[in-house]
Amino acid sequence: MRHRVGKYLTRLACFLLGVSAIGIALFLFVYVFWKGRGVISLSFLLDSPSGVPVGTDGGIFPALIGSIFLGGLSALMGGLLGIGAALYLAFYSDRKWLSVLVNTAILGLSGIPSILFGLVGYTLLIYKLGIGRSLLCASISVAAMIVPFVSIRAKKIFEEKRRGYMEESLGLGLSKEYTLRKLILPHCASELLGTVALGMAYGMGAVAPILYTGAVMQADIPRKLTDPFMSLPYHLYMLVNNGFSLEYAFGTAFVLMAFLLLVQLLCKGVTSLQERKESR
Amino acid sequence: MRKKFADIFFKGVIITAAVSVSALLVLMLIHIIRESIPAFSTLGAEMFQADTKWQPVSGTPQFGLLPAITGTLYVSAIAVILALIFGVGGALFLNYYLPDNIAKIFLSFIELVAGIPSVIFGFIGLTVVVKGFAKIGKMAAGQCVLAAGIVLGVMLLPYVIATCSESVQNARKTYELSALALGLSKEAVLLKTILPSIRRGIIAAAMMAFGRGLGETMAVMMVIGNSPIFPKFFGRGQTIPALTALEMGSIEYGSMHLSVLYAANAVLLILLFVVLGCGHMLRRRLDKDET
Repeated sequence: MRHRVGKYLTRLACFLLGVSAIGIALFLFVYVFWKGRGVISLSFLLDSPSGVPVGTDGGIFPALIGSIFLGGLSALMGGLLGIGAALYLAFYSDRKWLSVLVNTAILGLSGIPSILFGLVGYTLLIYKLGIGRSLLCASISVAAMIVPFVSIRAKKIFEEKRRGYMEESLGLGLSKEYTLRKLILPHCASELLGTVALGMAYGMGAVAPILYTGAVMQADIPRKLTDPFMSLPYHLYMLVNNGFSLEYAFGTAFVLMAFLLLVQLLCKGVTSLQERKESR
Repeated sequence: MRKKFADIFFKGVIITAAVSVSALLVLMLIHIIRESIPAFSTLGAEMFQADTKWQPVSGTPQFGLLPAITGTLYVSAIAVILALIFGVGGALFLNYYLPDNIAKIFLSFIELVAGIPSVIFGFIGLTVVVKGFAKIGKMAAGQCVLAAGIVLGVMLLPYVIATCSESVQNARKTYELSALALGLSKEAVLLKTILPSIRRGIIAAAMMAFGRGLGETMAVMMVIGNSPIFPKFFGRGQTIPALTALEMGSIEYGSMHLSVLYAANAVLLILLFVVLGCGHMLRRRLDKDET
């Protein structure tokens, strides 16, 4: 009898915990999309913020564009560095000390909290080098943050694909670099692109590294690298933290979340298509 | 000849990238250490005494870091406990009671939660959790350590579920059929064989999640209330990342205040590297055992 009760209790506990975990996840999306849907309109997406205090009227267009610029720039820098380091680890671990160093560096960077990229970027780039709050400084800080993100995943991709090509290609007398450039990189291209895009989404959502390195409450679309810029998550943070407008905060959160969700779903779709193609 | 040049160039680019990534970490660490030296050499142990308050801008400034350090640990601990309860339960439910294809859908859905930026977690925390606490009463504004723990716990949940799911799937492959063949009920298999066998995996996941929690900035900062006092369950508190984000913008470069912030982050980094390092080693040993 006691056995029976224990059995049902265990089952009940698992069901309750599991359902609430899924429920919480569902709630997060539904809540933001439901609350934010009223604000979304074409003019909210395409106008500049206005009103007093700023952000309580108008739209979020410069923030949207600023975020995309930031994401693109940091994905370019962080993606190249991250993929380069991953290539080194997967194919050139001939110098033992260097590969240990690079491996440790990636693990170490992945453990550093996002705010430290902001703090170091702030003192190093803005005070020591005197660049000024700008798209460039913010992109560098964010790029440093997404390097380990890209590297760890890219390394996994390369390690899965390595066996098939490398040995056969080397056996044919082709050089390692040629094999990498002509066979392995093109073959992994879509997955690498997906990884960099995920890294970009991760970087675009972060506030801590851009807090004092470049994001501002009101700015035009940046024309130079040294211009300050607006960013969606930063805009959201300022609206909420200063209590300007909860309504517009929900709208901004809606756009930010929809955009990042779209990027993630696209990446997932591409990867699963790829897998299906390969298994056929 | 031209081909050879392209090969050398390509190799050069790769090695440059690898060296720059290493240089990036070394540069950051050296910078953090260098900036925190003034604080350690002039204030030293004073920063870590319980009776030193955090009053960085008063006439006689005091730089006590202990409240923020305990706050950081406290919030992370609450978050990890919550994430473990729901995460392990959720992983068991998904991988043990649901059919595989449905579990897969839910798992990738929960994975999407990991992609939500922390500022949105903070925002939802503020409008749901904090508001809820304020409504229930007792607290004036509802911002407290528990609210931060809950928000952070939800953020860690997808990570815990993902890692625990992997462990559960592996354990099922190894034990389930033989245990069922011995006549044990499904629940007995769960409690007597699967849970004990994933215990180490859970500990590794908990340590990694704890490490992630320690460094979380925006979400915690928006709901904890940011008072540099010793944290109480239902009271306001402060964490090191939140303190940094809050104060770094208004400090002069070269001041003692900034140096103390760097010192606080140096302490945080040491903590983080110990926790994440142990978690990583445990994880690696587990992976080796399983293969």
